[in-house]
Amino acid sequence: MKIDSKSIDVAYKEGRDFLLEHEALKIFESVGITFPPNALVNDTKEALAFAKKVGYPVVIKAMSPEILHKSDYKAVVIGINDDDDLKAKFDDMKKRLAKYNLEGILIEKQVKKGIELIIGMNIDPTFGPVVAFGIGGILVEAISDVTFRLCPTTKERALRMINEIKTQKMLNGFRGLPPVDRDALAEMIVKVSKLAIDLEDYIKEIDLNPIIANEDGVYGVDARIILKKK
Amino acid sequence: MVNNPLQSFFEAKSIAIFGASSEIEKPGYVIAENFLKNFVGKTYLINPKGGEILGQPVYKSIFDFDDPVEEAVIIVPAKYVPSTMEDCAKKGIKSVVIITGGFKEIGEEGKTLQKRIDEIAKENNIRVVGPNCIGLFYPKRGIDMVFLPDSKLTRPKKGGISILTQSGAFGSAFLDIMGTLGNGNYLSKFVSYGNASDINEADILEYFGEDPETKIILAYLEGFKEGKRFIEAARKVSFKKPIIAIKANRNEAGAHAVASHTASLAANDAVTDALFREVGIIRVYTWDELFDCMVAFNSSLLPEGNRVLIITDGGGAGVMASDSVGELGLELAQLSPAIHDKMKEDLPAFFSVENPIDLTGSATAKEYIYSLEQTKDDPNIDSITYIIIPTPPAINVKDLMEGLKPYAKTMNKTITFCALGGAEAVYIREELEQMNFPFYPTPARAIYGIDKLTEYADFLRDHGQKLPIIREIPK
Repeated sequence: MKIDSKSIDVAYKEGRDFLLEHEALKIFESVGITFPPNALVNDTKEALAFAKKVGYPVVIKAMSPEILHKSDYKAVVIGINDDDDLKAKFDDMKKRLAKYNLEGILIEKQVKKGIELIIGMNIDPTFGPVVAFGIGGILVEAISDVTFRLCPTTKERALRMINEIKTQKMLNGFRGLPPVDRDALAEMIVKVSKLAIDLEDYIKEIDLNPIIANEDGVYGVDARIILKKK
Repeated sequence: MVNNPLQSFFEAKSIAIFGASSEIEKPGYVIAENFLKNFVGKTYLINPKGGEILGQPVYKSIFDFDDPVEEAVIIVPAKYVPSTMEDCAKKGIKSVVIITGGFKEIGEEGKTLQKRIDEIAKENNIRVVGPNCIGLFYPKRGIDMVFLPDSKLTRPKKGGISILTQSGAFGSAFLDIMGTLGNGNYLSKFVSYGNASDINEADILEYFGEDPETKIILAYLEGFKEGKRFIEAARKVSFKKPIIAIKANRNEAGAHAVASHTASLAANDAVTDALFREVGIIRVYTWDELFDCMVAFNSSLLPEGNRVLIITDGGGAGVMASDSVGELGLELAQLSPAIHDKMKEDLPAFFSVENPIDLTGSATAKEYIYSLEQTKDDPNIDSITYIIIPTPPAINVKDLMEGLKPYAKTMNKTITFCALGGAEAVYIREELEQMNFPFYPTPARAIYGIDKLTEYADFLRDHGQKLPIIREIPK
């Protein structure tokens, strides 16, 4: 699998030490990490065409080099259910965030409800690149139920990792949700851990948070790559 | 074992002591005395002042005699260490332990000195343990660089535990404890590696891993020179023998500004914790836990499963032990029906033959021994904890200890002991420790010992490994 890492050069050229989400998506998708159908669009016409193709509901996210933490800017709008809604929310987002040098709007099919997990990568000062897995979403820092492995890791080790987090109840079919697909999850962990090594010269931190595990599979729904300073 | 630099340190047939002293309160005297009395090889004492120590000549220089020397211990003041290293190089010594402190740990001046000794070592292919450490101790061959006198630090005798420690003081205190515990037969090899200018924690772990005399590895770490290598080494070693480790300095924050959730979660020692668990290192956090694990692993067998039987004469102690069993994720065993029925018939009706087996305040030594005899081969039980409250009038503790002695030689199931109380509990402790049974001062700790054995056995089974024989059943 050829890693699509062109966006790293772009980011460095623009003096950024992080990738925009749509740039990070290219890298993740090129190594087989699954995301919901998505596209970077510039106007309502493109947005509507995309929504027509994949169906509602959809999510829109503003892509700007000036916005790292999207929630701080209300740069993510979810639960858009029809054309009118999309038009209105899209225009509103463009207007609100016009001053932030928007590169486009990332539109994604919204995935069904599921368990929110995190897979990430960090360079430990003692042990080097480590891959993290745990409970994600808004709970991530509140409950800190996360474990680590050296990069790169193997599927067997990733499966043990999934068995290791304390909140197993969440993984086994919580509140009517289906049990998470441990196999797919383990493969995703392995891919992130390999990416960390393949792009070791460039990548400082990775966050796939949340990852949503639902009845259809396991999807990254927000992705962040922080680059090493050049 | 190939190419581990530590091998020549432990197998050297001749050792030169630079800084040997005739003043008995000086480290240079203690080390000289240790070697002269116990070392199975040849000892050469070096000090520019000359003279003699315990009837042995002190050479003014390493060049005052022609015999080749394999290893050196350096105790001279820091500023003379580089020139001493140069002498070692000229003499062809390839293994050097530098006890002396005053290097990197004291700041810039020390750093420069340490850099100088690194250079000399590199240029001459000399391997170095230290500086700023208490060196090596290997009772089997009488290698003893511990500069703390016998009268103050009781040396453990030959056994199966090997220790690597970043802190000399921690290491020496633990040696003292091992020396005074039971029959004192605990130690295989000890390495205090101090500043680790050359040989570091990963080298030592690999060496202990390959060393057939080492059955259990204890580690005290505050940081890592080669963290990733240490973890990868442990991944292999832990399949063969248990590694029990303290990684202190836990709040040493990965305190750089971070932009991702992952990085903020990875701060402090969550990563160390996960990686230790992954590779089967038994992580302990306190002095007590290290001691409790050492005693458990050295003196008991690895259990086949997680079902624990509690035998006691104290209701409260049994309940507390049961609580610990539950809290630690172990299970209370159920006696096999045939064994249960037989015991129910043989014992007084008011004894409780459940789990815990409660022999009540009417217990006697005979009934204690009987309970162990009946249950020790029960396949429904993986481990036993034996909690004695010696105060009831009918328990003759001497008889009880005599009765247990044969089991010290034949016990083929995991077992831990506890005695609660005053003088008689102390007597029981000493007797059981002499028998090399794992003894704990509280029920919770006796269960903790079982828990750690169970955890390690689970780890091995989960990874498709056979359980290693750590404690040979005594003949």
